[in-house]
Amino acid sequence: MISKKIILTGSFGVGKTSIFNQFIFQKFSDKYLTTIGVKVNKKTMNVKGQELSLLVWDIAGEVTQDKVPTSYFLGASGIIYVMDLSRPLTFDKAEEDTKYLKNLIPGAKLKLVGNKKDLLTESELAETVANIKLPIDSITSAKTGENILELFTSLAEDLI
Amino acid sequence: MTQGNHIREDERALEKLKDILLNKDRAELEELRSILNNQDKLSEKVRPIILSHFDFLKENFSSEYEEIVNTLIDKKLKQSEQELLDLIYPSLGKMISKYVALQMTTLKESIESSVKSKFSIGRSIKSMFTGVKESDLIIKDAVVSTIEEVYIIQRDSGLLISSASNQDSMDRDVIAGMLTAIKSFVEDAFNKDAQDLEMIEYGSYKIIIRSYYSFYIAIAVSGAFSATEQFELGTKIDSFAEYKMKLFKGKYDISSEEISLLLEQDFIQK
Ligand SMILES: Nc1nc2c(ncn2[C@@H]2O[C@H](COP(=O)(O)OP(=O)(O)OP(=O)(O)O)[C@@H](O)[C@H]2O)c(=O)[nH]1
Ligand SMILES: [Mg+2]
Repeated sequence: MISKKIILTGSFGVGKTSIFNQFIFQKFSDKYLTTIGVKVNKKTMNVKGQELSLLVWDIAGEVTQDKVPTSYFLGASGIIYVMDLSRPLTFDKAEEDTKYLKNLIPGAKLKLVGNKKDLLTESELAETVANIKLPIDSITSAKTGENILELFTSLAEDLI
Repeated sequence: MTQGNHIREDERALEKLKDILLNKDRAELEELRSILNNQDKLSEKVRPIILSHFDFLKENFSSEYEEIVNTLIDKKLKQSEQELLDLIYPSLGKMISKYVALQMTTLKESIESSVKSKFSIGRSIKSMFTGVKESDLIIKDAVVSTIEEVYIIQRDSGLLISSASNQDSMDRDVIAGMLTAIKSFVEDAFNKDAQDLEMIEYGSYKIIIRSYYSFYIAIAVSGAFSATEQFELGTKIDSFAEYKMKLFKGKYDISSEEISLLLEQDFIQK
């Protein structure tokens, strides 16, 4: 079976661990326990008739990506960069950060994700998305589980 | 003397002169031909020229050919950088092990002097026959150690290349990832001079880690594990890595099961 390494990254508190837990265990908690270091877990998916084992690294959030130890990113096939749609500060650095990450691991597929969709109304969401200058790949809610599986499936498809 | 006679006389003299000159030329030509056709003679002539060129090269090789050779070496090195590093790493490890062993000996000597007072005759005899130091036997007598798990893990991604084990319960892909994450975390947090994390200890478990260029090997050991055992295991892992190298060729195209079998043979005691 093919194994791929995927990294969840972004600023702190944007919901990386929540996305991780929703994807792996289909569970969500309102409690905020900040991640220290890294947590790794695995999920096997069937993508386009192909068995794929995703090793997901949930890392501690940092305000800018250059603060994350570069060794965490080594050998990653996919990067999920998460922003908190309810906190505009978390997409301020997105352009700079994604540029930095693309440069650091040129081979990896990068997905730009806006999380906590459930905290915004339709019109707020439209306004927020318009304000983010980068093309967002996925708008998710780790709380309701909306678009979480789709996010990983589309990333996995890119990796095959 | 007539005018005509005079001319004829001149011509004859010229003829003679020509003859003399040409004769010399012909003789030289003949000699040249014989040299060219005779290998011994030819080599006798050419040798000094070649030798002097050799001398010239000895003196001036670097300035004349340095660039060409450098480009060639650069190219070759770039092509096989990974293979080269994979080859060098185990030897480096051995050199470092040797140094560490020396330090350990000093420590063990101090232990030995402290256990001298309470030696047992049985152990001393065993020590005499097996060549194992008494201090090691004392420690070994206390608890026996067992190798529980062996992992070969890609160094950068943390993806599991292969593993072997006594039991069958954990998800080894996840363990490989976590080990790599912990290793990266520690190395990043405490390392100022690019050293590798070599051991993780929890409870009665020890995870011995040996890092090579593109992969690392982690072995989980339970029970008391003496310094000598640890050193021996390190050396054993190094030779395994070195031998493995030839199978890997940096590509990992040998199947995970095949490597697992080798790991089991070499490390797991049933
Ligand atoms: N309403 C809502 N809350 C969310 C969502 N995702 C995460 N949260 C909450 O946001 C807080 C932070 O979530 P985490 O998943 O711990 O964030 P993180 O990115 O892992 O944070 P660090 O580990 O500190 O970098 C927690 O209280 C979560 O319950 C979401 O989609 N909707
Ligand atoms: Mg977290």
